Amino acid sequence: MRQQLGQQIGSALHQSIHRIVLVLASFLPGILAFLLAVIVFALLGWALSALLRALLSAAHFDQRLASREAPSASGLLAEWSPANSPTLLASRFTFWLFVLVGIAIGISAFDASYAVDSRYSIFLFPYVAHITGAILILLAGTLLARFLARSVLIGAVNAQLQYARLLSHGIKWLVLVLAAAMALDHLNIGGVVVELAFGILFGGIVLTLALAIGLGSRDLVTRSIEKSMEKPLPRPTEIPSRPDAAPTPPPRLRHF
Amino acid sequence: MSTPPLIADALQPDQPGAQASPDASPAPRAVAELLICLPALTAAALPSALAAIAAAFPTESVLVAAAHLPDNPADFPSLELIPYTTARSDVGWILAAADYAAAAHLARERNVRAVLLLGGDSAAISEPNALNAPMLRSLADCIRIKNIDLVLPRFALGPHEALVNSALIYPLSRALFGADIRFPLPIDAALSARMAERLAITTQRLIALNQGHSLLWPVAEAASAGFSVREVSAADATPPTPPPPQNPTDFNALFASVAGSLFADIEAKASFWQRVRGLPLRPNLQPDPPALSPLEASSEIHSMIETFHLAQDNLEEIWSLVLPPQSRLALKRLSQISPDAFTLQPDLWARVVYDFTLAFHLRTLNRSHLLGAMAPLYLAWVASYLRTVADDPARAATALELTAAAFENEKSYIVSRWRWPDRFNP
Repeated sequence: MRQQLGQQIGSALHQSIHRIVLVLASFLPGILAFLLAVIVFALLGWALSALLRALLSAAHFDQRLASREAPSASGLLAEWSPANSPTLLASRFTFWLFVLVGIAIGISAFDASYAVDSRYSIFLFPYVAHITGAILILLAGTLLARFLARSVLIGAVNAQLQYARLLSHGIKWLVLVLAAAMALDHLNIGGVVVELAFGILFGGIVLTLALAIGLGSRDLVTRSIEKSMEKPLPRPTEIPSRPDAAPTPPPRLRHF
Repeated sequence: MSTPPLIADALQPDQPGAQASPDASPAPRAVAELLICLPALTAAALPSALAAIAAAFPTESVLVAAAHLPDNPADFPSLELIPYTTARSDVGWILAAADYAAAAHLARERNVRAVLLLGGDSAAISEPNALNAPMLRSLADCIRIKNIDLVLPRFALGPHEALVNSALIYPLSRALFGADIRFPLPIDAALSARMAERLAITTQRLIALNQGHSLLWPVAEAASAGFSVREVSAADATPPTPPPPQNPTDFNALFASVAGSLFADIEAKASFWQRVRGLPLRPNLQPDPPALSPLEASSEIHSMIETFHLAQDNLEEIWSLVLPPQSRLALKRLSQISPDAFTLQPDLWARVVYDFTLAFHLRTLNRSHLLGAMAPLYLAWVASYLRTVADDPARAATALELTAAAFENEKSYIVSRWRWPDRFNP
């Protein structure tokens, strides 16, 4: 009896292992195709990027581009180039473009090598593409949040706003929350819960900023509104008399 | 190999030889050798400007370029009025690339020997600022008699004027390019034919890119070309100024524009200024410790110090990407001392400016962010400077000289950091 039970358990385990090995075996050609595509395209990209870098260096591409740029221009291409070298930017762009193409082709090969009616392919493949998209969204959101936070911080400090850091953090988290919600939505995770949470968080941040600005700079807002409104010139009799108010002297400083 | 420095002599219009008297003037010429480029003037202001030019050069024929002709050109028989063939810039308060290009184009066409390029904002002023006869003559004579390539006017300004020039433009121009020219970003300039041609080549790219409003740095251009530069006194003339900033954003935009253009020019001429020797040693300036003006006397100074404190609290993370620890520590100490003792030492200011110049070159962070983060430091310098000079022109001259000398003393610092930015970081 005990021996029979042992045989049944052993047989069940054996069948399970067999099924796992079968699944793995059915995965292996696809994985191999994926890896092969990525490696081949990465090698191709590396070779082409090296060739491109050599060609551009021989043609003095950086110097030529710099000489065509206006001295006062910010140099957009060089601004975003690693080590201030558009040649390096072009070669790296080529390499990563080939890597991405390799991944795309690898995924296609993986998909083709797998059974169409397999439940794994239906579940897995949309997610690979979605995860890539979500990572890109998060990356772009992080970069944008950092850039905007710095812009707001510097602008607010130069405008002498005491709550400059609060504003900067507020903008940063607004963009980060937006990016995170977009990424989750892209992954189809959470559904309504994410939308609801995002709405609450986003609204909360906006409300906090509005309250902070409204309470912290009532005078500034009042002056701004007064300045933007076209008010008719008061008649001489309507000018409020302030005996203690001396006429405001014009600014003596001239920066330029 | 090092390049000798350019030394300016402030030629006075009243000096013998500087002013051509009617008796000593050359005989009337059939072909004009002097071209005067007027800014855009109102129809009412043009005749008085032409009359001033005719009075300044009574015995010679002068070419005058104007945006439009007067109603009665026959009233000025010695002047040959010509239109511009390429449009000038609409910057107004300063000469920009399109102004130099327009002047150079006419100079090439008419084969003139000297060009007087006059600026001025037609909306803000009713006549060109520099149209006083002695100064026009001294500008032209310096080009024609002394064979100088670039002559700029030296305005007599008060301690509270042209502060960006005093803080940045003049000290950097003097220290890096060895050019002791008080106003290197000119509103008026006299150019030799070859200088005009040189500037025309420089502006070609800008004009092609439709950036005629870009600033140009003729002093640095002349220095790098090995041309001679001088300045003449223009004490009687009042330079036009840009419209006063209505809010801090206007000031920051203008500051970023000027400082960014200056840093870009320094970056473009790095191979030149690293070889330039400094000016000859001046008499040792050891003034008494400057007395500070009372803080409550000026709300503007108070506001600038507050901006610096705010920046110290909020921008330290950004400054840490640009400034070495030594400078950051000094700035932190400055923010902690009482406003009554607020003084930004010239050597610290010089190092800070050099560090920002280097960060601009290395693109340590976005350039608009970089220049925005520099503005509070400039305001700190202005506050310190104004409290030191206290409305006294003599003290202002001393303070300016100390600032410029600090930039010269610290030049080895920028050269070292420029060459080895990763290795040399005190």
